[in-house]
Amino acid sequence: MDLTNLYYSLRLILPEVIVSVALLIIVIADLILHRDKKSIPYIALTGMLAALAFMITDLAQQGFAFIPSKSQHMFGMVAVDAFGTFFKILIIISSVFIVFFSNSSLEIQKVSDRIGEYYTLIYGMILGMMFMISASDLILIYLSIELLSLSSYVLAGFTKLRDRNSEASLKYIIYGAVSSGIMLFGISILYGISGTTNLMALNKFFQSPELNLLTLSFSLILIFAGIGYKISAAPFHFWTPDVYEGAPIAITAYLSVASKAAGFALLIRFIRTSFVAVVDAQGNWILFDFFDWRSLLIIISILTMTLGNFSALWQNNLKRMLAYSSIAHAGYILLGLAVLSVHGLIAIMVYFLIYLLMNLGAFFIVMLIADKSGSENIDDYSGLGYTSPLLGVALSIFLISLTGIPPTAGFIAKLYLFIALVDANMIAVAVIALLNTVVSLYYYVRVLKHMYLTKPSASTSSVRAVGINYAVVLILTIPVILFGLYFTPILEFVKNCISILSI
Amino acid sequence: MLTEFGKIFVFLLVAIIFVAVSIFIAKLIRPVRPTKEKLKTYECGENPVGTPWIKFNIRFYVVALIFLIFDVEVVLLFPWALSYKEYGFYGFLVGIIFLVILAVGMAYEWRKGDLEWARPKPNIPYLKKIIKNQTGEINQLQSEESKIE
Amino acid sequence: MIEVGLTHFLIVSSALFSFGIYGIITRKNAVMVLMGIELILNAANINFVAFSRYLNLGLSGQVAALFVIILAAAEAAIALAIVLNIYKTFDHVNVDEIEKLKE
Repeated sequence: MDLTNLYYSLRLILPEVIVSVALLIIVIADLILHRDKKSIPYIALTGMLAALAFMITDLAQQGFAFIPSKSQHMFGMVAVDAFGTFFKILIIISSVFIVFFSNSSLEIQKVSDRIGEYYTLIYGMILGMMFMISASDLILIYLSIELLSLSSYVLAGFTKLRDRNSEASLKYIIYGAVSSGIMLFGISILYGISGTTNLMALNKFFQSPELNLLTLSFSLILIFAGIGYKISAAPFHFWTPDVYEGAPIAITAYLSVASKAAGFALLIRFIRTSFVAVVDAQGNWILFDFFDWRSLLIIISILTMTLGNFSALWQNNLKRMLAYSSIAHAGYILLGLAVLSVHGLIAIMVYFLIYLLMNLGAFFIVMLIADKSGSENIDDYSGLGYTSPLLGVALSIFLISLTGIPPTAGFIAKLYLFIALVDANMIAVAVIALLNTVVSLYYYVRVLKHMYLTKPSASTSSVRAVGINYAVVLILTIPVILFGLYFTPILEFVKNCISILSI
Repeated sequence: MLTEFGKIFVFLLVAIIFVAVSIFIAKLIRPVRPTKEKLKTYECGENPVGTPWIKFNIRFYVVALIFLIFDVEVVLLFPWALSYKEYGFYGFLVGIIFLVILAVGMAYEWRKGDLEWARPKPNIPYLKKIIKNQTGEINQLQSEESKIE
Repeated sequence: MIEVGLTHFLIVSSALFSFGIYGIITRKNAVMVLMGIELILNAANINFVAFSRYLNLGLSGQVAALFVIILAAAEAAIALAIVLNIYKTFDHVNVDEIEKLKE
């Protein structure tokens, strides 16, 4: 690899380079500031904002980075395109929110002597997710998944304040290590069949008529099991409620938004670049027909959302309920992928943008209340709407939006999804998804009922947050309302970001 | 002509002979001054006989972890060392960046006191408090702990 | 006498993979589960190296195996740290009995 190629590649992955440098700076700052570590969150924030600024200015940039010098084709290890940059922006935005969450979280404040390690691990997660989003080589995909996972295993049990922290960490690492090991075995078999690990080269390989379908399907199932674990799709979702309940709330919020977004971006890129044979004039993806892709995706997504919604019905712990609700949302998003067209892709991206705001908001308020009352139990929410009105109203808005009722942004997200489904003649599926939404209404409204229709009990605390927390709540609430009424800008933004580099 | 399995057999044979010869030579040339402690099986200063589920010093574990990580990272340096002539100065730079990152990790271990056998800050102050004023201070300690719970 | 070929390596690797899965499913001790995971990773490693050697795919498979070795070590280090933490809180490391989170 000569100098110009190296510079070109590094220029393409500049945000990742910035994140890596920021990670090192945090480690060094943590070592220098041995006593007073108050400035570390600000360093972390600065690094994120710098990466964000570069990504927004380079939104239109695209190309392959790190092209092997001796290869016959021009496909690199990393594909930089607008689709990837969109998801990276989502991840950085949620990371910025997580810095604010952690700063006001009581759990994280208790371990403030280890705050340097905390932000180093957060940066490890960011780096892993950014490479996961733009990786176009199976080995790099595996490495980035592991980088993300290893950091998040530690973060899930980082506070060590209660038994449940350690338990979440153990369950996470056992499920995670098993599924990533299985995925790696699948990759190794696919490498043996096709002789390559590059996603684009795989696409060329699948075009050849002589395929050993049995071995191929076996390896693909193993690989999709690994990805399915990351997005907590139906048969691989068992870790999600336990880990989400046991981890510190700031980390739970982060896992449910950013980690899931990275997993979906990886899945979409994998399917789009490796398995799409032709894209027709309407933007439909015609996939290689050795799988019935659409039925497979539909079955998994319906299973995911139904399991998520019905398990959420009898949860009394709000954190666990939101965990199941995030499984259900993963089901809706998978349904967008099952459309297998550009319209489905747009629906997914709109959904994620809105899901980020409303889910982070709901978790933030649950965190503020749990910090005050000491538990996430739904009984502690009795009459909360009267004792702390602003938080009550904000939580109601987020929960209504998660259900998908107008005039909130969640309605727009679901609307685009259903339009995409109906356009693709998947009306029966759309009806099932709609019924699921009705089920989800029950458990979201149950919280509202506790907040407004139950008398405040002795355990209800009136939560008076400090100014910065109110600011964060408002920053999350206003877009949820605003995008519900005026959503053209996000649609325009998403439509600018749908190009995925492929053959 | 050897078959493939024949090669493996030769490999095994050489390994066994090498170990046997070196142990035998060591036995010939080393001084023999046995004591009771020396005759025990070597196990890092632990008593070799008894249940394996005793609690031994946690520092063994930390040192082993650090060794594991840094030992394995060196594997990445082998392909680099073999091919960096081909990639010239920039290949060299890439390797240096990798080493700098490793060095930051090392500095972290050092600064946090994980390379010392005894950690720099033992939790002695608690003990002093309890001895000074038994009832009041113990209560205070318990309340601190319950706050964490 | 038979020549050692790709098939032999694949048999070894699939046996390792199966033992790994078996160990993960049957063992209660967290450390044994982690050993099962290591077996799976090593099975994949054998696959990578064998394929790149016998199918003349260059060095890419061997480099992949190097990366996997390093990741396996990192994962083992973190997993053992977490298991140690579990031992401190629960006084045992039986995966089946750690279920405070289930309601």
